[in-house]
Amino acid sequence: MASHSESIIREPLITGKNITYAQITNEVLAPVENKPNMAWWIGFVLSVIGASIWLFSISWTFWYGIGEWGLNKTVGWAWDITGFVWWVGIGHAGTLISAVLLIFRQNWRNSINRSAEAMTIFAVICAATYIFGHMGRVWLAYWTLPLPNQFGSLWVNWNSALMMDVFAISTYFSVSLVFWYTGLLPDIASIRDRATGLRRRIYSIMSFGWTGSVKTWQRFETVSLILAGISTPLVLSVHTIVSFDFATSLEPGWHTTIFPPYFVAGAIFSGFAMVQTLLLIARKVLGLENYITMFHIESMNKIILLTGSVVGVAYITEFFIAWYSGVEYEQYAFINRSTGPYWWAYWSMMTCNVITPQLFWFKKIRINIPLSWILSIIVNIGMWFERFVIIVTSLHRDFLPSSWVMFYPTWTDVGIFVGSIGFFFVMFLLFLRVLPSVAMAEVKLLVKTSSEQAKKKLIDEGHLDPTHVDDYVKALEKYDSVDLTQYHKA
Amino acid sequence: MESNKKYWKGLEELNNTPEFVELNKHEFAEPVPIEEVLSGTGLTGKTPRRNFLKSVGFGIGAVSLAACQRAPVHKSIPYLIKPEEVTPGVANFYVSSFEGQAILVKTREGRPIKIEGNPGDLFGQGGISSQAQASLLGLYDTSRLKGPMQDGGDTGWNPLDSFVKAELAAIKASGKQIRLVTNSINSPSTLGVIAAFAAEYPTTKHVTYDAVSYTGIIQANQNSFGKAVLPHYRFDKADIIVSFGADFLGSWISHSEFTRQYVTKRNEAAVKSGKMSRHIQFESGMSLTGSNADVRIPIKVSQEGLALVNLYNEITGTTLPGSKKLGNNIADNAIMLAAKQLAAAKGRAVVVSGSNDVAVQILVNAINSALGSYGNTIDLDNPSYQYKGNDADLVALVEEMKRGDVGAVFFLDANPVYNFYQSSAFADALKKVRLRVSFAPYNDETAAACNIVAPNHHFLESWGDENAVEGFYTLIQPTINPVYDTRKAEQSLLVWSNNAVKDYYTFVRNTWNNGILAKGGLAGQNGWDTLLQDGFIKVAEKPATPVTFSRDLNAVAQTILAQGNKLTGGEGKLELQVYENTSVGDGKYANNPWLQELPEAVSKVTWDNFAAIAPKTAEELKLEEGDLIKITANGYSTELPVLLQPGQAQGTVSVALGYGRTKAGKVGDGVGKNAYPFLALTNGTFQGNAVATIEALGGDKVVLAQTQTHGSYEGRDIIRETTLQEYLKKSEEKDHGHGEHEKKQTYDLWEAYDRPQYDWVMAIDLNACTGCGACVVACNVENNIPVVGRDEVRRRREMHWIRIDRYYSFDEKGKTVTEEKEIDKLEDLDHVSVTYQPMLCQHCDHAPCETVCPVLATTHSSEGLNQMTYNRCVGTRYCANNCPYKVRRFNWFNYWNDSRFENYLQNDYTELVLNPDVTTRFRGVMEKCSMCVQRIQAGKLNAKLQKRSLNDGDIKMACQQTCSANAIIFGNKNDPNSEVSKALKSDRTYYVLEELNVQPGIGYQTKVRNRLTTEA
Repeated sequence: MASHSESIIREPLITGKNITYAQITNEVLAPVENKPNMAWWIGFVLSVIGASIWLFSISWTFWYGIGEWGLNKTVGWAWDITGFVWWVGIGHAGTLISAVLLIFRQNWRNSINRSAEAMTIFAVICAATYIFGHMGRVWLAYWTLPLPNQFGSLWVNWNSALMMDVFAISTYFSVSLVFWYTGLLPDIASIRDRATGLRRRIYSIMSFGWTGSVKTWQRFETVSLILAGISTPLVLSVHTIVSFDFATSLEPGWHTTIFPPYFVAGAIFSGFAMVQTLLLIARKVLGLENYITMFHIESMNKIILLTGSVVGVAYITEFFIAWYSGVEYEQYAFINRSTGPYWWAYWSMMTCNVITPQLFWFKKIRINIPLSWILSIIVNIGMWFERFVIIVTSLHRDFLPSSWVMFYPTWTDVGIFVGSIGFFFVMFLLFLRVLPSVAMAEVKLLVKTSSEQAKKKLIDEGHLDPTHVDDYVKALEKYDSVDLTQYHKA
Repeated sequence: MESNKKYWKGLEELNNTPEFVELNKHEFAEPVPIEEVLSGTGLTGKTPRRNFLKSVGFGIGAVSLAACQRAPVHKSIPYLIKPEEVTPGVANFYVSSFEGQAILVKTREGRPIKIEGNPGDLFGQGGISSQAQASLLGLYDTSRLKGPMQDGGDTGWNPLDSFVKAELAAIKASGKQIRLVTNSINSPSTLGVIAAFAAEYPTTKHVTYDAVSYTGIIQANQNSFGKAVLPHYRFDKADIIVSFGADFLGSWISHSEFTRQYVTKRNEAAVKSGKMSRHIQFESGMSLTGSNADVRIPIKVSQEGLALVNLYNEITGTTLPGSKKLGNNIADNAIMLAAKQLAAAKGRAVVVSGSNDVAVQILVNAINSALGSYGNTIDLDNPSYQYKGNDADLVALVEEMKRGDVGAVFFLDANPVYNFYQSSAFADALKKVRLRVSFAPYNDETAAACNIVAPNHHFLESWGDENAVEGFYTLIQPTINPVYDTRKAEQSLLVWSNNAVKDYYTFVRNTWNNGILAKGGLAGQNGWDTLLQDGFIKVAEKPATPVTFSRDLNAVAQTILAQGNKLTGGEGKLELQVYENTSVGDGKYANNPWLQELPEAVSKVTWDNFAAIAPKTAEELKLEEGDLIKITANGYSTELPVLLQPGQAQGTVSVALGYGRTKAGKVGDGVGKNAYPFLALTNGTFQGNAVATIEALGGDKVVLAQTQTHGSYEGRDIIRETTLQEYLKKSEEKDHGHGEHEKKQTYDLWEAYDRPQYDWVMAIDLNACTGCGACVVACNVENNIPVVGRDEVRRRREMHWIRIDRYYSFDEKGKTVTEEKEIDKLEDLDHVSVTYQPMLCQHCDHAPCETVCPVLATTHSSEGLNQMTYNRCVGTRYCANNCPYKVRRFNWFNYWNDSRFENYLQNDYTELVLNPDVTTRFRGVMEKCSMCVQRIQAGKLNAKLQKRSLNDGDIKMACQQTCSANAIIFGNKNDPNSEVSKALKSDRTYYVLEELNVQPGIGYQTKVRNRLTTEA
């Protein structure tokens, strides 16, 4: 790759002057090899408090029963499955970035894939807690697995979408984990090589004996590609199957064939929003501005804009189909969503998911870091409401009006949800301390071709079309990590 | 004998080879290594001391640790000698009687676990009320007194007897009065005991009163016809029924009997033949009866009398002095039409009034007499003895006690300190009585004011008899040894009156031997044995003697109209009506959690009473649902939450009696507010109507624990209703081949299952169902359904497997309005029609719950049942979400072992009520109607034991069995001659949500109203 120069028109993926491989290693490993700073400690303490709330609430539920939640005879799922789908959705960006973008040779993924994958894994763990938590008899959760048993010939029900869910989630989790860990191997080896004592021994074991030989690298590349191939369909399948939980039922508002694509788009939407939420802060706190550049931020904002619009179209299509179907229950379900007692949830969802992301049509907003961060939070909120709207407002008024009820959450519901966010951040912050948050090896691949300094060198060599160079320099204006003076004085 | 045969062990022996000979010399063919063992390490090998100590230490330690676990001690007494009549696992049924109604008591291993109707019963003919079903729990109630009490402390029966006897002797010597206060008693034996007691103590007077009094009717009959009786009403003979506030299907006199009678004129046969009765109800509060009426006209409390006067005028063509129109066009018009229809159906009509006013009831008598009802729809010659109370007697007693004339007072089934309208006056007067004895099984309000409490047996523990209607005698027999140290009240009276008969059982036998058995053509021991099997004796009805009404009505009309004027509410005042509701009744059963959790039929409120107000009135008073208001009337005030009740007459407020008990027991204490003090003694009887001032208290809204909060069915095809005219027209068209011949194509995703033998299905006739809720309680008892309490019902988590959905629709200018958004636009909600729909698991052939369960915990049986396997359930609740009928119930908590629910059914005694054929469910599992699968299995087994095939009707569902209206029919669809197959062939049959192609197994029959468009 190094033999070819990348076109000057492409924006740089790494900024900064005199970037060396060693510098990348030093900068990325700074949080791993040094004592944590104040910001980390504040974040960590808050997260631990959150995780404690989660632990308390879930223990309370297990001790007394699901009755501690606000559910009732009509609304059998509410914050539990809302939380589950929300977390699974968030867990979508990681694999999409690492697998799909790898296959499409989108090199900009190299800087963000590590954190995104970590986020995926932690989000799926959070989602899994809801799968267990919502079960009335959680100690029998293993019955959902097709294990040979002595209870007679008891088997699982392959017709049930929940059953498919068990497999979809566990497959996704294991493949994501393997993919993530495989990618980590060369970086762990780098830590090992720089560490001493016990640390060295631990990282040595964790590096699986990485030697750095050409053959190792070759195998590494092959495995990455194979895993990417396996993961790509999973990106689509997981949320498709999660959507089956609803689509294969006959509840008005659930029984909808649009759900699989709509859910996948929503998942990518929320996943990228969560990546934004995390990386915009991590980039600042960990000083990774040169590796996670404005180009990355803008690209992700574009994806959020696209998927948000897809989701918006899906919302409108649902309404149209409800009317077009002529089924009164379906029609009522949708009218009730938008004008019934939970109208505020519906309009929160519409505002957060469809209307506000449209602001990303403006480049100024796309490259504005505080606004991007706020909008990413709004998308996260909107996507939570989307699941709440689908689940609660469909269930609370279905076929027989005699059973119509309202759902009111209890402190346990809130505690488990808020706590799961704390739990997520505990895991994420620990990850930042022990593993490199940027895929060093993959970023280093870009230094020779896609970095600002490589391009500067090409410009300085002077064989380029000046109009292209002008365009390039203009594109650099949005970067907050680029010093433009050196280009202007030239 | 010697044999030459030689048996050989092997060829070697046969051939006698040298090797064999050699080897045979030794005992063992191969050398045994004894030396080796003795000289080797085998014996000399050391067992190290430490190892020995280790094993001993471990052994002792392990055993002691295991012994530290205190094994639970289950005290159970095995049947070392099995009683002849008890086979474990097989239920015994005993005849008995509940409030005069012949019943069967199902016992298992000596415990009564269910009450069922006696098919030969005069009243329900196998159907019984929710109260009768629930009365069983009283037997095991831990709030019952565990033994006799004196001055608030425990005592024994012997010291108590000697004390009471000594006191009575002293009182007798002093010549002071003795009063026995009871509610209506129709038991011949009890009356005999009381007579014997009165003979011993001549100053004794028996004071009878009823919490909800019918003195008005009894005295009116005395006045009109010289017969001081409560007549036996025959709604089954009435083609037109006009009721003024009488809730005869819900709480009035003999409501489960009236339900049965009423429905015979409204069931499939009646509808099909076009001979359905017409029922017009004029009332202020929305009663169960009013909700079933073909035409219901809300009128104010104060106008009920006037309406009756107008009806009388219309029927007889006279004009009583002071008559005037109601000033309400709809009501006036309805009275005119009702009069016409009544007059056209002479001898087949009946007019009833729920008023306890003598004058009103005299006028009703006059109307019925003019309509020729006596001897047809009203039987005065075979009267009812269910209520005999005389209100004036109780009032007189208070005066006597105040004067200090009374030396002793006994309370049997009477709780005047709670339900007398001036309870504090009563309690004060009572203090002046020297000997105050209560027979109450609870330390209730009155018992607490007594110095002696001699707790009575529960009726399932005792002998007794009843005679609720002339010529119908029922027997009560014990079905269990007394649970607590209680004694039958009659026994106590026998002991205290030094009766020659020491034992109440003998007394009962004597009573029956001396006359009653003979009436039934029985005699001697054989006759008694037959009685113990039949449970009742029915004597042929006495022939009707003609009666004519010949009283002058002028004064009566004056009294009625004056009373009406007094009740007219002024500015900012409402007309208050107190009533008895369908679940808790008069408050006697307030400590029964099954009844407290049974939703009141119309409002669907549990665990509370409330102030029912018309939405329009509430709007005028700026009140909203749940607002706390203070109601003041007759010098008493109480605070109640508002319930907006469609159909409630504007300007009125209704409050249920039976709540606000302070000493009912753990369950009933402090539930709701007492409404008895609102009563007043008017024209010599207790009446529950008054002018009330209403004061909004502000503050937080009260959330009533309702099981249903959305009242309209939103125009959905889940309820089908029509009018009789329309129905007859349609069916005629169909018979001539013009009807819809819709052939629907159905699709199957899966292969259909075989139902080789049985396909259990159900038919529910919406026209027969009155919505009383007896089925709900029957199901609770049969299937061990937990009671969850007010808070959990508020959270919408009641566990009932069967519920009665109640839908309102409104008639606006000849159009039926059912959708919420249109209802909101209506001027008022007066003209409401109500439809009840029992809803339970539909046992769909394409059950949506079955496909979604990840662990196959709910599956389909080869008999068409949707089965729930509790043991397999992991509790994802997906099935409940996917159930379009929302009939699945989740065990949110461990109701059977969670201290927060222990007030209801969860303790050593009340757990004895559990049906051993049905498992209790653990927390975290789903449950739902099983179609009483235990009954199906028992029925099949029984048929098998008798070596016959199962007959239609062998198996009855608990809900079906208790239904006096016979609205539920269960059976095998594969048998074309089964009752259910026939019922489902009705052209009224439809399936709820059949468009979903879930293929439900329960067919509903369309509700038919016998209503003309001009009436509504």
